[in-house]
Amino acid sequence: MGVKKRNTMKRRIAITAFVFIAPVIIYNIIFRISPIFISLYLSLTEYSGFKSPTFIGFSNYLRIFSDTDFWGAVLRTLQFSLEVVPLNIILSLLMAILVNKTIRGIKVFRAIYYLPVITPMVAASMIWLWLYDPQIGAFNSILNFFNLPTTYFLQDTSTALHSIAGMRIWRGVGWNMLIYLAGLQGISQNYYEAASIDGAGKTRCFFSITLPLLRPVHLYVLVVGMIQTLQTFTEVYVMTNGGPLESTTTVGLLVYRLAFDYMDMGYASAMSFILGIIIMLLSIISFTWRHTKEAVV
Amino acid sequence: MKKVFWIFLLVLLLVFTGFSKETVTVWFAGTTKGLIDVVENEMIPAFEKNNPGLNLQVEFIPWGELSTKLTTGLAGGIGPDIFMHGQAAIAGFVQNDLIMPLDSYISKLEEPDDFGGSMTSGLYKGQTYAVPVFGSGWLMAYRRDFFEEAGLDPDHAPDTWQELREHALATTKRAGKNFEVAGINLPVSGIDLQQVWASFLYENGGKLFDDDFNPVFDSEEGIEALQYYVDLIHTDKVSSEYGLNPVGNLLPIAAGRAAISFVNSENMAAIKKYSPKAYTEIELTIPPKKITRAGFYSFAGFMVSKKTKDLDSTLKALSFLTSKDSIIKINEALGSIPPRQSATDAEFVKSNPMLRKYIEGVEFAYSNPNIPFWVQARDILVKYLERAVRGVMDPEKALKQAASEINKLK
Repeated sequence: MGVKKRNTMKRRIAITAFVFIAPVIIYNIIFRISPIFISLYLSLTEYSGFKSPTFIGFSNYLRIFSDTDFWGAVLRTLQFSLEVVPLNIILSLLMAILVNKTIRGIKVFRAIYYLPVITPMVAASMIWLWLYDPQIGAFNSILNFFNLPTTYFLQDTSTALHSIAGMRIWRGVGWNMLIYLAGLQGISQNYYEAASIDGAGKTRCFFSITLPLLRPVHLYVLVVGMIQTLQTFTEVYVMTNGGPLESTTTVGLLVYRLAFDYMDMGYASAMSFILGIIIMLLSIISFTWRHTKEAVV
Repeated sequence: MKKVFWIFLLVLLLVFTGFSKETVTVWFAGTTKGLIDVVENEMIPAFEKNNPGLNLQVEFIPWGELSTKLTTGLAGGIGPDIFMHGQAAIAGFVQNDLIMPLDSYISKLEEPDDFGGSMTSGLYKGQTYAVPVFGSGWLMAYRRDFFEEAGLDPDHAPDTWQELREHALATTKRAGKNFEVAGINLPVSGIDLQQVWASFLYENGGKLFDDDFNPVFDSEEGIEALQYYVDLIHTDKVSSEYGLNPVGNLLPIAAGRAAISFVNSENMAAIKKYSPKAYTEIELTIPPKKITRAGFYSFAGFMVSKKTKDLDSTLKALSFLTSKDSIIKINEALGSIPPRQSATDAEFVKSNPMLRKYIEGVEFAYSNPNIPFWVQARDILVKYLERAVRGVMDPEKALKQAASEINKLK
């Protein structure tokens, strides 16, 4: 085959490949990449959504620095993320280990544990609203059965955020279980056999083989978990609408209120960007941590 | 082949008939089933029969999502021609140049004088921007059976703040730290808290804003009203600090968990439907006075988008939606207060003593102020009211800080 013919074929293959991936590229440009730049521009403007935006430079960003509501929401969102992500990782790993057995009916258990993931967030929030109800909720019925006092899960400032975190863990654990299950099934049995010949017990195998070999999975679950929890909106909007006393107001909810209740789209865009930067920094730290660990190993 | 041709022709005919009709889009606020039924099954067919060249395309938007959907819809140019919203939203829409003044079209509505004073609910800076559709008010309700049990006269409603406190104390039943029956169910968060506390403010001779949009709720009257509200919760312990949740779709007063409560006309309609037994035990009264009596009332009205494409068609639809017949149908479905004077003689009002009570209460009505930054101002006020009610801030300090923050919005 001549060089010219080979080049023509290569070009055809490239064009065909491009045609196949074009819809995805176009979709991402229109719905994911363009909005980032539009939002960046809006963050430098005063914009109500109805009249043309007015360029005001970095005023919105300067306003953010002295906005106690925003920084309060950032701290609260970080606290929420710190409560949800580690517990989610631990529980999903334990569940993955449990369902990684070859016993009868295990597929049913896997499906049951996965069910919360496919429950729409609004529906899940409504169910948990009922579970947490101080008068007719299931949790308080259990507490009262043991003569324990009624707990105002979502009405008390000291418990509201933790209660939403509990719901979020329940909903997310099935997905991460699946990821860990895939990771566990990718570990060769040879390692365990070799270790048992050397006299290693189950606990030693878990800490010296399973956990280290699952490091890429830990990283994935950690980063995705952080990105998702730092953008928390729906469950807070449905279950507490940010209350009581702003104790569950996350950055996502604050941005929503500013943009759609107060029509302050420019300022809301600036807040979104700061949140984006925080998420990016945390992701970079997580990736760096992984590389450092690998270098040490 | 012949068959295919005829089908093709029929499809073409249907398509062209559809396209040749003008469409007027209307957004109703609220998703009450009765309202949806009456609009879809009776009103739309009636309108389209009388206006063969027009389609009435109606959507029902939950109140909680209304502002968001309108904001995005109108900003994106896909908003409705006519939409329903509360009267306190008018100033914001006018400020953003989204709705048109209707003064020159009012005369084209069916018997416009029939609206009487309710038409002023659509006024902003001397121009009419909304035609009222239905009204809603907050009155006080109490359980006759709980009053009797506590040795109180069920025919005598609490008349003053002092009596309200005494009645609430007498009817409160506790089970350990929890309420078996709360003497009074006071809202402790959100818009309900703002509206019910404002009743006490007005009863004490205060008001929310002056005519120049300056907050004046941090007056002595306001502080005293908030102190009274907070004392009922923390000192007298007759109302829950956390509020009482509905039991299923029953309000606490209907579920027997509160002896006194503030309820609106839609609440009463729901109690009548879902808990007819409790409904017979509930007595409705105008809230007690300190200096005067006061009840929060608000009218929702139809507004017309400035971007409406065919104004003639839109006005025909507006005229139809606010006609005597439509107003009666809508208010009957909602169990709400009709804004037309003639509608107060309608059968559904005559046969509903509770609704008549709400109509009587209009005499003591106050409404939210129509100011451009109302939503933000209300949220700030709610934030500080919640702090006071939760006991984390002194009432005076809370109101002063709320006023100071709201002043910055101007």
